[in-house]
Amino acid sequence: MAVITLSGVTKSFGSVSIIKGVDLTIDDGEFVIFVGPSGSGKSTLLRLIAGLEETSGGHILIDGTDVTDRGPAERALSMVFQSYALYPTKTVRQNMSFGLEVARLPRAEIDRRVDAAAAILKLEPYMARKPRALSGGQRQRVAIGRAIVREPVAFLFDEPLSNLDAALRVDMRVEIAKLHRRLAATMVYVTHDQVEAMTLADKIVVLDGGVIQQVGSPMELYERPANLFVAQFIGSPKMNVLPASADGRAIIVPGGKVRLAAPPPAMIAHLGARPENIVITPPGQGDIDGRVDVVERLGSDTFAYVTVPDAGVLTVRIVGNDVGIAIDQPVGLAFDTQRLHLFDTRGQAVPVAAA
Amino acid sequence: MTRSLAGHRPRVIIGKKIAPYVLLLPFVLVFVAFLIVPMIYAFNLSLHKTALVGGTRFVGFDNYARAFVDPNFWSGVWLLVRFGLIQMPIMLSLALAFALILDSGLVYARGLFRIAFFLPYAVPAVIATLMWGYLYGPAYGPIAQIAAFLSLPKPDFFSENAILGSIANITIWEYTGYNMIIYFAALQAIPTDLEEASKMDGASAFTYAVRVKLPMIVPMIIVTIMFSIIGTLQLFSEPYLITNLARSVINSHFTPNYYAYTLAFTAQQYNYSAAISFVLGAVVAVFSYAFMLASNRGAR
Amino acid sequence: MGIVGNTVRSARFRLSRWVLTAILCIYLVYTLIPIFYVVTASTKTNADLFGTFGLWFSDDFHLRENLVDLFTMQDGIFLRWLGNTFFYALTSAIGAAFFALLAGYAFAKYDFAGKRLLFALVLGAVMIPQTALVIPLYLLFSKVGLLNTPLAVILPSLVFPPGVFLMRVYVEEAVSDEIIDAGRVDGAGELHILSGLTFRLLMPGFATVFILAFVAAWNNYFLPLVVMSTSDQFPVTVGLAIWYASATTGSGGNLLFTVVMAGSLVSILPVILAFLIMQRFWQGGLSAGSVKA
Repeated sequence: MAVITLSGVTKSFGSVSIIKGVDLTIDDGEFVIFVGPSGSGKSTLLRLIAGLEETSGGHILIDGTDVTDRGPAERALSMVFQSYALYPTKTVRQNMSFGLEVARLPRAEIDRRVDAAAAILKLEPYMARKPRALSGGQRQRVAIGRAIVREPVAFLFDEPLSNLDAALRVDMRVEIAKLHRRLAATMVYVTHDQVEAMTLADKIVVLDGGVIQQVGSPMELYERPANLFVAQFIGSPKMNVLPASADGRAIIVPGGKVRLAAPPPAMIAHLGARPENIVITPPGQGDIDGRVDVVERLGSDTFAYVTVPDAGVLTVRIVGNDVGIAIDQPVGLAFDTQRLHLFDTRGQAVPVAAA
Repeated sequence: MTRSLAGHRPRVIIGKKIAPYVLLLPFVLVFVAFLIVPMIYAFNLSLHKTALVGGTRFVGFDNYARAFVDPNFWSGVWLLVRFGLIQMPIMLSLALAFALILDSGLVYARGLFRIAFFLPYAVPAVIATLMWGYLYGPAYGPIAQIAAFLSLPKPDFFSENAILGSIANITIWEYTGYNMIIYFAALQAIPTDLEEASKMDGASAFTYAVRVKLPMIVPMIIVTIMFSIIGTLQLFSEPYLITNLARSVINSHFTPNYYAYTLAFTAQQYNYSAAISFVLGAVVAVFSYAFMLASNRGAR
Repeated sequence: MGIVGNTVRSARFRLSRWVLTAILCIYLVYTLIPIFYVVTASTKTNADLFGTFGLWFSDDFHLRENLVDLFTMQDGIFLRWLGNTFFYALTSAIGAAFFALLAGYAFAKYDFAGKRLLFALVLGAVMIPQTALVIPLYLLFSKVGLLNTPLAVILPSLVFPPGVFLMRVYVEEAVSDEIIDAGRVDGAGELHILSGLTFRLLMPGFATVFILAFVAAWNNYFLPLVVMSTSDQFPVTVGLAIWYASATTGSGGNLLFTVVMAGSLVSILPVILAFLIMQRFWQGGLSAGSVKA
């Protein structure tokens, strides 16, 4: 197994800088997920680890060995691609054995490994088929099988589930989680789907503009986002953010004041509140007032979109569906002051209880 | 784990950096040897002059100065401009119309038409010219026979006025199907949901073909016009082969390529012939560039 | 709408279908007439060629005799021409298509210094007038003693720029970058990826370029006309054109007309047959070009 260390890694294509200096350690057996909007550099970072792109600066170490100048095959990694990238002219068995044949492994060893991987992934009935005769889910499993047989020091996944339909995606997500437990292997996984990130990861790396915004466990990122970007990127629906300023023991927001137990830090500029941390009250009895714009009933939850003058639309999550609110109804909104997020003018998080 | 990083022994393989050069090498070798080198050689030729007495000497751009005012050259260019103005619109609009018809599926036996129209492309220009030469024949050609049967005057395909049309007809016969197949392939690549959308908008098959599909293959049409311009300005085989039938109207400078050929192989004036070829290349480039400019402006 | 509207529509639909089919049939006749004329003329005696209606067969079916004449005339030189054409076209097309495949693959899948310039050069090559190339080639070949040898026709035909363009477009469509990356992760070198993983995906594109190069070489006239000087090296296009010229000027005697016709028939049949059999490939290749162009 492997520890992967990136230090000061940069990548530019011509004059365009894609990765602007990344330091990161991925521990042995850890499941690390890179998330970020498109163009954030998450796929490029994965390809740099794979050796498919050359770094423009910095170093990549695997188990302490500097592999920065090595080609992809010399890093003993496996990769699962978004489009599966199965070799169309080869059968499932040939697809899985190709890398081992290139490495000149003995036939018996190749067969042993391929059969073992086929058993894990329940691919035995399909070994003689060509990829085009397989379903999307089966192709995905072959791609994973091809990665397993190499017995790599770490697995890399580039948005592996994005070509599957919603139901299959859930199944494969569970299978990948099981596979990680079973192999106890280091896995690095890129996705733009935050449900995948939240459910699979030991550690999430949030990237934006080629810079790591925050690294942490899913719950750390959810509960203690380091900045506005992470706060709004993790969690669905998004965190509500209002312009804010400190005033004694209260925070002034458009249309009202949020009273706190202790005075807030003076430099705050934004107040964030997740949808489940806002409560609907009769008008005038909350911290601020607004008007219900849209109501979405999901059965287990109800989302109310409330327009607040000068603050925009705030999302409120209410448990259950019988909540007795209607469109155009004036309402009050009360914030859960224990779970507020405060940010300074640069968007960096400010601890609520700092003062 | 059976693999370890420390024990990994990198093998010598062709990497990403050198691979493109290795792959390009064979083509670039023949490209340089049989295209670039002859071009340079010809250009060098064009800067010299060979006299019976005194041998070869450097004359700079004298040959070009001569070519620029050579009426034999410009009459050939002018002839091809007139030729292209007749031939290209007919050929390309026929090709486009047939492609739209075949693509719309509004005909029977689509496959048959598609193949049959394309067949002339497989016939060498030499044989196409020869076949039409017989068909045009004033004595025994079937067209003359039909005219005689109907007591009509025999058409003279090799007269001063008719010769351009006669040659144009041969090239139309040869290349309409080829252009049609290119348009057809471009039309087939248009996604079918566009057709469904236009049906929902109430468009007829005709409206859909002309107002929706036609604009979408304009880039392809521009490409075919470019290639037709280039091909037209290089016309050689057809007039060269038909010379024997129309001695009085096809002279040794009928087209610029014909002129360059005669200069080189009849008059042994390789130097001047090379200059003529380069001036023709420049004319082709100017026409192509002018057309590109015009079509870009039209697109805006 | 209902039933009435539908019948009116479908009647109009059927009418327009017949009208359009009829229009295409007119052009079909035009397309086939010269070929049909060659067929009928090949079956006639020389007297009937001039004495009977050109677009129908005469009573005296003379095809066998014409073919015998064709293949025995001048000690059977025609067969030699056919063989030459086949040899020149086959070797040129295999080489040209293979070189185009490698070059197109490099243009499609790699970044390298000078890529744009080189590709522009390759595309610009179509603007070069034939004479600008063939005449210096003639002079250069005469210096190195290649004139009147098969290489004089084959070597220049290995340069087939449209093939490079087509292959580039084809590779971009047929081979995903991820497959190549997967091969790299699996430890295969770049050339091994091409030969072992992606080459077979490129076979339809290769076949298309091969056919187009083959037809171009089969139909080539100007280059062999210039660089070949003895009859035994001619391809069929040059040989037939010479027979045709001597027939029209009367120097070869009238016998030649039917022989020229039979020779034309024999030399276009193989290409036409090849096109009919391999239509999947050339149509596929041309459409690949159309997507990007």
